[in-house]
Amino acid sequence: MLKLILPVIFPSWRFFSSIGPSPRIHIAFLQNENAEPDNWQAFRPLPAKISLKNGLRRLLHNPEWNETLFINTCAERLFEGYSVMREQEIMRRILAAIHCGEIKVDKAKPYVTYRISAVMREGQVIGQQVTFVATPVLISAPQQKGTA
Amino acid sequence: MLLEQAVRYSEIILALAYAQQSLEFIRGLQPERTWGVIGLLLSFLLLIGFQPVLVEAGLLIVACVLLYRFHGPYNGGSDCMSILVLLCLFLSHIAPSAFWQQIALGYLAFQLTFSYFQSGYIKITNAEWRSGQALTDVLAITAYPVSEHARHWAQSPRLMLVMSWAVIVFELLFPLSLLNHYVLIASLVIASIFHLANACLFGLNRFFWIWPAAYPIILWFQSRIVLT
Repeated sequence: MLKLILPVIFPSWRFFSSIGPSPRIHIAFLQNENAEPDNWQAFRPLPAKISLKNGLRRLLHNPEWNETLFINTCAERLFEGYSVMREQEIMRRILAAIHCGEIKVDKAKPYVTYRISAVMREGQVIGQQVTFVATPVLISAPQQKGTA
Repeated sequence: MLLEQAVRYSEIILALAYAQQSLEFIRGLQPERTWGVIGLLLSFLLLIGFQPVLVEAGLLIVACVLLYRFHGPYNGGSDCMSILVLLCLFLSHIAPSAFWQQIALGYLAFQLTFSYFQSGYIKITNAEWRSGQALTDVLAITAYPVSEHARHWAQSPRLMLVMSWAVIVFELLFPLSLLNHYVLIASLVIASIFHLANACLFGLNRFFWIWPAAYPIILWFQSRIVLT
């Protein structure tokens, strides 16, 4: 616990000290847990534009975006090394997004997986490389809101 | 500004910031949903000034539970500043003497100043920040921009260069604003606009609410060092 608290009491304010690989998360639905994903879709793609009204609302209340930032933090930790907790944390939130109807499911494909790509600049070229593919999970019946 | 006034103003802004964070957790998953409800209740008690020592101790417990739950901060720097403000205010209440009370609040004023200065220092020592390339990459590559439209800003290298240097100069010069009350107020207004821009471009809304919670303390600190 001390290891978690000390960096908060004596923080380092090194915001954007270097721009490293940035995560992108894509999800895919599968017929069974051994099937090869054939249709990756971006998890929470960016909107084209945000209106002033939505911008003001997001300034006050933006739980989904802050959750996405947390998911990205988990993905960045997975760049550094495997962690069961981080893998499950991302999957748990993808399942919650499915159960609340945010993501449409193909009923013929009851399994879901996700992959993490690292976007980085090499010279003048921006490249993307898949660094992690999660273990597929069976999409269970929707759970009560807030307990996914 | 008197110390007691600064602490109270700071607690009011902190209560609003914690209420904002708690309401977001309430919209999330369990168990943070439950902790969000507890946090919201405690924020209300802090807002009305009911037993601040006990309420702040309660909020510190909630913060520690969430740190443990997420294996670190949920929202990076904004969580660090939230806990830091909360801890320093709590310590100022339980301090055994006026001296230690001022040390607790002085530490918060130092961390607020340092949050800008260190951030500017690491940028000016980085060639990519000095050329504007780093800000271009933040907008073009990272997952932070809130919309595809915001990413387009990366296509204006001259704008990126100007914005990078504006941020670097402001952050590095921030400690000098402690020399004059009115310059400090102007700097805090600029800092708030900076956090607002970060909230609009990168969706960092929690930073916008929590950093000002430390502003009354730095205003008290500035009047304290000038008197000294």
